[in-house]
Amino acid sequence: MTVHNLYLFDRNGVCLHYSEWHRKKQAGIPKEEEYKLMYGMLFSIRSFVSKMSPLDMKDGFLAFQTSRYKLHYYETPTGIKVVMNTDLGVGSIRDVLHHIYSALYVELVVKNPLCPLGQTVQSELFRSRLDSYIRSLPFFSTRAG
Amino acid sequence: MADAALFEFLHAEMVAELGTRDPDPDPDPGPGGQKRSLSILEGIGFRVGQALGESVCPCPARLPQETLALREELDVLKFLCKDLWVSVFQKQIDGLCTNHQGTYVLQDNNFPLFIRMALGPQYLEEAPKFLAFTCGLLQGTLHILGFESLVTSSMATLPACKFQVVIQKS
Repeated sequence: MTVHNLYLFDRNGVCLHYSEWHRKKQAGIPKEEEYKLMYGMLFSIRSFVSKMSPLDMKDGFLAFQTSRYKLHYYETPTGIKVVMNTDLGVGSIRDVLHHIYSALYVELVVKNPLCPLGQTVQSELFRSRLDSYIRSLPFFSTRAG
Repeated sequence: MADAALFEFLHAEMVAELGTRDPDPDPDPGPGGQKRSLSILEGIGFRVGQALGESVCPCPARLPQETLALREELDVLKFLCKDLWVSVFQKQIDGLCTNHQGTYVLQDNNFPLFIRMALGPQYLEEAPKFLAFTCGLLQGTLHILGFESLVTSSMATLPACKFQVVIQKS
Protein backbone atom coordinates (compact mmCIF):
# COMPACT_ATOMS: atom_id res chain seq x y z
CA MET A 1 0.00 0.00 0.00
CA THR A 2 1.17 3.48 -0.75
CA VAL A 3 0.66 7.13 -0.06
CA HIS A 4 1.12 9.14 -3.24
CA ASN A 5 0.74 12.77 -2.27
CA LEU A 6 -1.06 15.25 -0.03
CA TYR A 7 -2.67 18.64 -0.60
CA LEU A 8 -3.84 21.14 1.99
CA PHE A 9 -6.22 23.84 0.80
CA ASP A 10 -7.84 26.69 2.67
CA ARG A 11 -11.38 27.94 2.16
CA ASN A 12 -10.32 30.30 -0.62
CA GLY A 13 -8.56 27.65 -2.64
CA VAL A 14 -5.05 28.64 -1.65
CA CYS A 15 -2.78 25.61 -1.61
CA LEU A 16 -1.35 25.79 1.92
CA HIS A 17 0.85 22.80 1.56
CA TYR A 18 1.79 20.12 -0.93
CA SER A 19 4.05 17.15 -0.49
CA GLU A 20 4.53 13.95 -2.40
CA TRP A 21 6.11 10.58 -1.69
CA HIS A 22 5.42 7.98 -4.37
CA ARG A 23 4.28 9.74 -7.47
CA LYS A 24 5.44 8.06 -10.63
CA LYS A 25 3.53 10.23 -13.07
CA GLN A 26 3.66 14.00 -12.92
CA ALA A 27 0.88 16.14 -14.30
CA GLY A 28 3.06 17.80 -16.93
CA ILE A 29 1.85 21.27 -15.97
CA PRO A 30 3.31 23.76 -13.48
CA LYS A 31 2.47 22.97 -9.88
CA GLU A 32 0.50 26.21 -9.51
CA GLU A 33 -1.76 25.11 -12.36
CA GLU A 34 -2.12 21.69 -10.85
CA TYR A 35 -3.26 23.16 -7.51
CA LYS A 36 -5.88 25.25 -9.27
CA LEU A 37 -7.05 22.28 -11.29
CA MET A 38 -7.25 20.13 -8.20
CA TYR A 39 -9.12 22.73 -6.19
CA GLY A 40 -11.52 23.41 -9.06
CA MET A 41 -12.33 19.76 -9.36
CA LEU A 42 -12.87 19.37 -5.61
CA PHE A 43 -15.07 22.43 -5.59
CA SER A 44 -17.16 21.02 -8.44
CA ILE A 45 -17.42 17.62 -6.84
CA ARG A 46 -18.64 19.20 -3.64
CA SER A 47 -21.45 21.07 -5.33
CA PHE A 48 -22.22 18.13 -7.62
CA VAL A 49 -22.45 15.74 -4.70
CA SER A 50 -24.69 18.03 -2.70
CA LYS A 51 -27.06 18.58 -5.64
CA MET A 52 -27.24 14.92 -6.64
CA SER A 53 -27.79 13.51 -3.19
CA PRO A 54 -31.36 12.27 -2.78
CA LEU A 55 -31.13 12.77 0.97
CA ASP A 56 -29.66 15.40 3.23
CA MET A 57 -26.02 14.63 3.82
CA LYS A 58 -23.94 14.77 6.94
CA ASP A 59 -20.39 14.35 5.70
CA GLY A 60 -20.78 15.02 1.99
CA PHE A 61 -17.97 14.05 -0.33
CA LEU A 62 -15.63 11.51 1.24
CA ALA A 63 -13.49 9.87 -1.45
CA PHE A 64 -13.35 8.68 -5.02
CA GLN A 65 -11.31 6.03 -6.72
CA THR A 66 -10.14 5.15 -10.19
CA SER A 67 -8.54 1.99 -11.49
CA ARG A 68 -5.18 3.00 -10.01
CA TYR A 69 -5.59 5.31 -7.04
CA LYS A 70 -7.95 6.59 -4.37
CA LEU A 71 -8.47 10.23 -3.38
CA HIS A 72 -9.47 10.84 0.25
CA TYR A 73 -11.10 14.12 1.15
CA TYR A 74 -11.68 15.78 4.53
CA GLU A 75 -13.10 19.22 5.07
CA THR A 76 -13.47 21.14 8.32
CA PRO A 77 -16.24 23.66 9.05
CA THR A 78 -13.62 26.40 8.61
CA GLY A 79 -13.00 25.27 5.07
CA ILE A 80 -9.60 23.64 5.49
CA LYS A 81 -9.38 20.70 3.09
CA VAL A 82 -7.05 17.78 3.51
CA VAL A 83 -6.69 15.71 0.35
CA MET A 84 -4.63 12.57 0.22
CA ASN A 85 -4.06 10.20 -2.67
CA THR A 86 -3.26 6.59 -1.92
CA ASP A 87 -3.48 3.31 -3.77
CA LEU A 88 -6.70 1.29 -3.80
CA GLY A 89 -5.94 -0.94 -0.81
CA VAL A 90 -6.44 1.85 1.71
CA GLY A 91 -9.80 1.98 3.47
CA SER A 92 -11.37 4.98 5.16
CA ILE A 93 -8.69 7.21 6.70
CA ARG A 94 -10.82 10.00 8.12
CA ASP A 95 -9.03 9.81 11.46
CA VAL A 96 -5.67 10.19 9.71
CA LEU A 97 -6.83 13.24 7.77
CA HIS A 98 -8.34 14.69 10.91
CA HIS A 99 -5.06 14.12 12.74
CA ILE A 100 -3.17 16.01 10.04
CA TYR A 101 -5.56 18.88 10.52
CA SER A 102 -5.84 18.94 14.31
CA ALA A 103 -2.46 17.75 15.53
CA LEU A 104 -0.24 19.18 12.80
CA TYR A 105 -1.91 22.08 11.01
CA VAL A 106 -3.61 23.59 14.06
CA GLU A 107 -0.78 22.91 16.49
CA LEU A 108 2.14 23.97 14.33
CA VAL A 109 0.69 26.50 11.92
CA VAL A 110 -2.34 28.08 13.56
CA LYS A 111 -0.63 28.23 16.96
CA ASN A 112 2.60 29.56 15.51
CA PRO A 113 2.27 33.35 15.50
CA LEU A 114 4.99 33.61 12.86
CA CYS A 115 3.00 31.61 10.31
CA PRO A 116 0.60 33.88 8.44
CA LEU A 117 -2.73 32.18 7.71
CA GLY A 118 -3.97 31.86 4.16
CA GLN A 119 -0.51 31.46 2.66
CA THR A 120 1.77 28.61 1.77
CA VAL A 121 3.14 27.19 5.01
CA GLN A 122 6.84 27.98 5.48
CA SER A 123 7.40 26.34 8.85
CA GLU A 124 10.06 23.68 8.61
CA LEU A 125 8.83 22.10 11.81
CA PHE A 126 5.39 21.56 10.27
CA ARG A 127 6.89 20.03 7.15
CA SER A 128 9.18 17.65 8.94
CA ARG A 129 6.52 16.54 11.44
CA LEU A 130 4.05 15.97 8.64
CA ASP A 131 6.57 13.98 6.65
CA SER A 132 7.49 11.76 9.58
CA TYR A 133 3.82 11.26 10.49
CA ILE A 134 2.95 10.15 6.96
CA ARG A 135 5.98 7.87 6.84
CA SER A 136 4.87 6.25 10.08
CA LEU A 137 1.42 5.34 8.75
CA PRO A 138 0.81 1.59 8.48
CA PHE A 139 -0.21 1.89 4.84
CA PHE A 140 2.72 4.08 3.82
CA SER A 141 5.21 1.41 2.82
CA THR A 142 5.28 0.54 -0.84
CA ARG A 143 5.92 -3.02 -1.94
CA ALA A 144 6.98 -2.67 -5.54
CA GLY A 145 9.23 0.32 -4.98
CA MET B 1 -7.26 28.56 35.00
CA ALA B 2 -8.29 29.45 31.49
CA ASP B 3 -7.18 27.31 28.58
CA ALA B 4 -3.48 27.71 27.82
CA ALA B 5 -4.25 28.49 24.19
CA LEU B 6 -6.07 31.64 25.26
CA PHE B 7 -2.94 33.06 26.85
CA GLU B 8 -0.80 31.98 23.90
CA PHE B 9 -3.01 33.67 21.34
CA LEU B 10 -3.30 36.85 23.39
CA HIS B 11 0.45 36.90 23.92
CA ALA B 12 1.05 36.44 20.20
CA GLU B 13 -1.20 39.41 19.49
CA MET B 14 0.56 41.59 22.05
CA VAL B 15 3.87 40.73 20.45
CA ALA B 16 2.50 41.42 16.99
CA GLU B 17 1.14 44.78 18.12
CA LEU B 18 4.02 45.96 20.31
CA GLY B 19 7.04 44.05 19.13
CA THR B 20 6.94 44.79 15.43
CA ARG B 21 10.25 45.59 13.89
CA ASP B 22 10.20 48.75 11.84
CA PRO B 23 10.51 47.70 8.17
CA ASP B 24 13.19 50.27 7.44
CA PRO B 25 15.05 51.19 10.56
CA ASP B 26 16.41 54.61 9.61
CA PRO B 27 13.55 57.09 9.38
CA ASP B 28 11.71 58.02 12.50
CA PRO B 29 12.02 55.23 15.07
CA GLY B 30 13.07 57.82 17.60
CA PRO B 31 15.51 56.89 20.30
CA GLY B 32 15.46 53.09 20.19
CA GLY B 33 12.05 52.43 18.64
CA GLN B 34 12.33 48.65 18.77
CA LYS B 35 13.80 48.71 22.24
CA ARG B 36 11.03 50.91 23.54
CA SER B 37 8.25 48.73 22.19
CA LEU B 38 9.84 45.67 23.78
CA SER B 39 10.02 47.53 27.07
CA ILE B 40 6.26 48.05 26.90
CA LEU B 41 5.85 44.30 26.59
CA GLU B 42 8.22 43.86 29.47
CA GLY B 43 6.23 46.36 31.50
CA ILE B 44 3.03 44.42 30.89
CA GLY B 45 4.82 41.28 31.99
CA PHE B 46 6.06 43.06 35.09
CA ARG B 47 2.55 44.01 36.15
CA VAL B 48 1.23 40.51 35.44
CA GLY B 49 4.15 39.01 37.33
CA GLN B 50 3.41 41.13 40.36
CA ALA B 51 -0.21 40.03 40.46
CA LEU B 52 0.64 36.43 39.71
CA GLY B 53 3.35 36.35 42.34
CA GLU B 54 0.79 37.48 44.85
CA SER B 55 -1.84 34.99 43.79
CA VAL B 56 0.23 31.83 43.45
CA CYS B 57 2.27 32.45 46.58
CA PRO B 58 2.29 29.30 48.69
CA CYS B 59 -0.03 29.31 51.63
CA PRO B 60 2.02 29.56 54.86
CA ALA B 61 -0.06 26.84 56.49
CA ARG B 62 1.26 24.35 53.98
CA LEU B 63 4.86 25.00 54.90
CA PRO B 64 6.91 24.42 58.05
CA GLN B 65 5.90 27.04 60.58
CA GLU B 66 9.12 28.52 61.82
CA THR B 67 10.78 29.09 58.44
CA LEU B 68 8.99 31.93 56.83
CA ALA B 69 8.88 30.58 53.30
CA LEU B 70 10.62 32.44 50.49
CA ARG B 71 13.02 34.40 52.59
CA GLU B 72 16.15 33.09 50.98
CA GLU B 73 16.99 34.18 47.48
CA LEU B 74 17.37 30.60 46.29
CA ASP B 75 13.94 29.68 47.65
CA VAL B 76 12.43 32.50 45.69
CA LEU B 77 14.14 31.38 42.50
CA LYS B 78 12.95 27.84 43.09
CA PHE B 79 9.48 29.20 43.56
CA LEU B 80 9.74 30.90 40.17
CA CYS B 81 10.94 27.72 38.51
CA LYS B 82 8.24 25.55 40.00
CA ASP B 83 5.05 27.30 41.02
CA LEU B 84 5.18 30.36 38.80
CA TRP B 85 6.21 28.45 35.67
CA VAL B 86 3.54 25.81 36.28
CA SER B 87 0.85 28.41 36.70
CA VAL B 88 1.82 30.19 33.47
CA PHE B 89 3.12 27.41 31.24
CA GLN B 90 1.79 24.21 32.87
CA LYS B 91 5.33 22.88 33.30
CA GLN B 92 8.37 23.39 35.48
CA ILE B 93 11.53 24.97 34.18
CA ASP B 94 14.25 22.48 33.29
CA GLY B 95 17.36 23.85 34.94
CA LEU B 96 18.45 26.42 37.49
CA CYS B 97 22.11 27.43 37.85
CA THR B 98 23.65 30.05 40.07
CA ASN B 99 27.06 31.47 40.87
CA HIS B 100 25.92 32.14 44.47
CA GLN B 101 26.53 35.84 43.93
CA GLY B 102 23.09 36.84 42.86
CA THR B 103 23.21 35.64 39.28
CA TYR B 104 20.88 32.85 38.25
CA VAL B 105 20.34 31.16 34.92
CA LEU B 106 16.95 29.59 34.31
CA GLN B 107 17.06 27.14 31.46
CA ASP B 108 13.95 25.93 29.66
CA ASN B 109 14.67 23.29 27.03
CA ASN B 110 11.15 23.38 25.63
CA PHE B 111 9.89 26.89 26.10
CA PRO B 112 6.14 26.57 25.51
CA LEU B 113 5.86 29.70 23.41
CA PHE B 114 8.49 28.34 21.03
CA ILE B 115 7.60 24.70 20.99
CA ARG B 116 5.25 25.01 18.04
CA MET B 117 7.42 27.43 16.13
CA ALA B 118 10.51 25.56 15.12
CA LEU B 119 13.01 22.89 15.95
CA GLY B 120 16.31 24.46 14.98
CA PRO B 121 17.44 27.79 13.65
CA GLN B 122 14.32 28.83 11.71
CA TYR B 123 12.65 32.00 13.08
CA LEU B 124 15.61 32.68 15.42
CA GLU B 125 15.56 36.32 14.40
CA GLU B 126 11.95 36.78 15.45
CA ALA B 127 12.27 34.88 18.69
CA PRO B 128 13.62 37.54 21.12
CA LYS B 129 10.45 39.58 21.14
CA PHE B 130 8.53 36.53 22.32
CA LEU B 131 10.65 36.54 25.47
CA ALA B 132 10.22 40.16 26.56
CA PHE B 133 6.90 39.55 28.31
CA THR B 134 8.30 36.59 30.22
CA CYS B 135 11.38 38.57 31.30
CA GLY B 136 9.05 41.18 32.73
CA LEU B 137 6.99 38.46 34.35
CA LEU B 138 10.01 37.19 36.27
CA GLN B 139 11.05 40.69 37.26
CA GLY B 140 7.58 41.55 38.48
CA THR B 141 7.27 38.43 40.58
CA LEU B 142 10.69 39.02 42.12
CA HIS B 143 9.70 42.60 42.83
CA ILE B 144 6.58 41.61 44.73
CA LEU B 145 8.67 39.18 46.77
CA GLY B 146 11.10 41.91 47.68
CA PHE B 147 13.94 41.41 45.22
CA GLU B 148 14.95 43.96 42.63
CA SER B 149 16.39 42.24 39.59
CA LEU B 150 17.49 42.51 36.00
CA VAL B 151 16.29 39.76 33.68
CA THR B 152 17.67 39.11 30.23
CA SER B 153 17.04 36.27 27.87
CA SER B 154 18.92 34.43 25.18
CA MET B 155 18.44 31.45 22.91
CA ALA B 156 20.70 29.41 20.68
CA THR B 157 18.25 27.12 18.95
CA LEU B 158 14.52 26.94 19.36
CA PRO B 159 12.67 25.77 21.36
CA ALA B 160 15.29 26.10 24.12
CA CYS B 161 15.97 29.39 25.87
CA LYS B 162 17.65 30.85 28.93
CA PHE B 163 16.72 33.61 31.31
CA GLN B 164 19.47 35.28 33.24
CA VAL B 165 18.36 36.83 36.50
CA VAL B 166 20.70 39.24 38.26
CA ILE B 167 19.53 40.24 41.71
CA GLN B 168 20.34 43.88 42.42
CA LYS B 169 21.92 44.31 45.81
CA SER B 170 20.68 47.43 47.51
